[in-house]
Amino acid sequence: MYDKTVRRRRAVLALLVVLSLILLSAYFGEAPSGGLHSVQRGFLTVVAPIQDGANKALKPVRDLFGWFGSTLKAKEQNAELRKQLATVRQQLTTKQSNEGSYRELIKLYHLDTALSLSDYRPLSATVIYQSPNVWYSTIVIDHGSSAGVHVNDPVIADGALIGKVTRVVSDGALVSLITDSEVEVSAKISATGEPGMVQPEVGEPGRLLMQYLPSTSSVVPGDYVVTSGTISSKGESLFPKGIPIGQVTSTSEQNGFKSVEVSPLVDLHGLDVVQVLTYRSGSRPETLNGAAATLAPSHQLGPEEEAQGGQVAQTGGGG
Amino acid sequence: MRSDSAWLPGSLLWRVALLSVVVVFLQISVVSEVPVFGVSVDLSPLLVAFTGLLCGSMIGAVAGFCVGLLIDLALMQMLGVTSLTFTIIGYWAGRLRELRDPQAALTPLFVGAAAAATAMVGYSVIEFLLGVDAPVSFELLREIVVGVLVDTVVALPMWALVRRCLVGGLPDDPRRRRRRAYTTGGLSPLSQSRGAR
Repeated sequence: MYDKTVRRRRAVLALLVVLSLILLSAYFGEAPSGGLHSVQRGFLTVVAPIQDGANKALKPVRDLFGWFGSTLKAKEQNAELRKQLATVRQQLTTKQSNEGSYRELIKLYHLDTALSLSDYRPLSATVIYQSPNVWYSTIVIDHGSSAGVHVNDPVIADGALIGKVTRVVSDGALVSLITDSEVEVSAKISATGEPGMVQPEVGEPGRLLMQYLPSTSSVVPGDYVVTSGTISSKGESLFPKGIPIGQVTSTSEQNGFKSVEVSPLVDLHGLDVVQVLTYRSGSRPETLNGAAATLAPSHQLGPEEEAQGGQVAQTGGGG
Repeated sequence: MRSDSAWLPGSLLWRVALLSVVVVFLQISVVSEVPVFGVSVDLSPLLVAFTGLLCGSMIGAVAGFCVGLLIDLALMQMLGVTSLTFTIIGYWAGRLRELRDPQAALTPLFVGAAAAATAMVGYSVIEFLLGVDAPVSFELLREIVVGVLVDTVVALPMWALVRRCLVGGLPDDPRRRRRRAYTTGGLSPLSQSRGAR
């Protein structure tokens, strides 16, 4: 009797472990259109409306707990924001005086057809799933293809880039955050205009690294990093130019290139409502995305090529 | 040693299934969106460990597998990663009960901490094995340590909840019945034999 129980217990454990490993290997090896991915999408389609309802019903509970954390954080942020406000006011007066001449130049060189945020339709969406695990940098939102969400659409929160849509079902979409290892964003330093690639920093969940800046770069901590409006390889998404991504926290130099650590502008742990930048079919963003996906080389450029301005698809000037 | 198959009442399985679904949905829609010290509380490894601690290794392992699969499906994560980690957690907690039957009041605290640590380290190890070429950094260690501490804080209330939900479905355990009898004024077999003489 004892032997039988022990054998059964061990067999169940072995069966479950083997089943998990089979699932893991099959999922890891299959294409996004494969069977297991389809099952997962089907599951999400079924539970997304239920989860959306539960999410809305439980929002007061979430807000109550969030209120305590937010109050503690607010005091700390207040002093910092006051300092920033003073700096920004100063910059605004300078920029306003430059704006007039800038508009004149844009008209002069006929650059006012550039792709900008106004070409997109921001669609507000509620976050319905968020993984508690530090390794998974994805969220699921309550709008999908039925609301006009496409794969690769940029996703923003509080005006800053937080990720892109990587999978879509009719009533939901999976958003890979900028801290996900599969997301790369072509970016530039806002102050100097130097281009680079923003990627998650390996082994540092929640932090970003902007690489391949020239060693002569004058980037300093506190500079803002924004989307460059370009892509450097086929797998990348074409984001509109000038969406803020993060702020430089430190710089380092390696192999003749400068790397900067970037802290995202949005707290990616506490996302509640986000905006997907969708576009109408036949609009300029769709045309440019199609052109970029067709014409961009599928290989990843080396650091030297990228430093020499290897970006092949551009959304145009402006932004 | 008790046979697991001898005591698998249907009501217990229903209770475990219902509790698992409710906790997973609560975790996903509320708990994971409320950061505490920069990390999210993860109730799911605690649920699996406490199910194992109350119901034994077999139910613990099966509950772990199912909860893990549900999480992987709902969060569109790589299937199998959470199932594998949670199966091991549920089985281990169940074996702890079967071999040692710990009765100390702080046992759930330690089991909860160990389950949270195993879940987080398990994810990290599998991520490394799947090709994330990352050094073990201070930031990652900090996230793991803070995550384990936060989960440990919620372990006792979670234990009370899981026990309250499952204890009605558990069959009477002879070992516990004996222990209850001694501690609530009943006579031990030794005292009984002395009294008879």
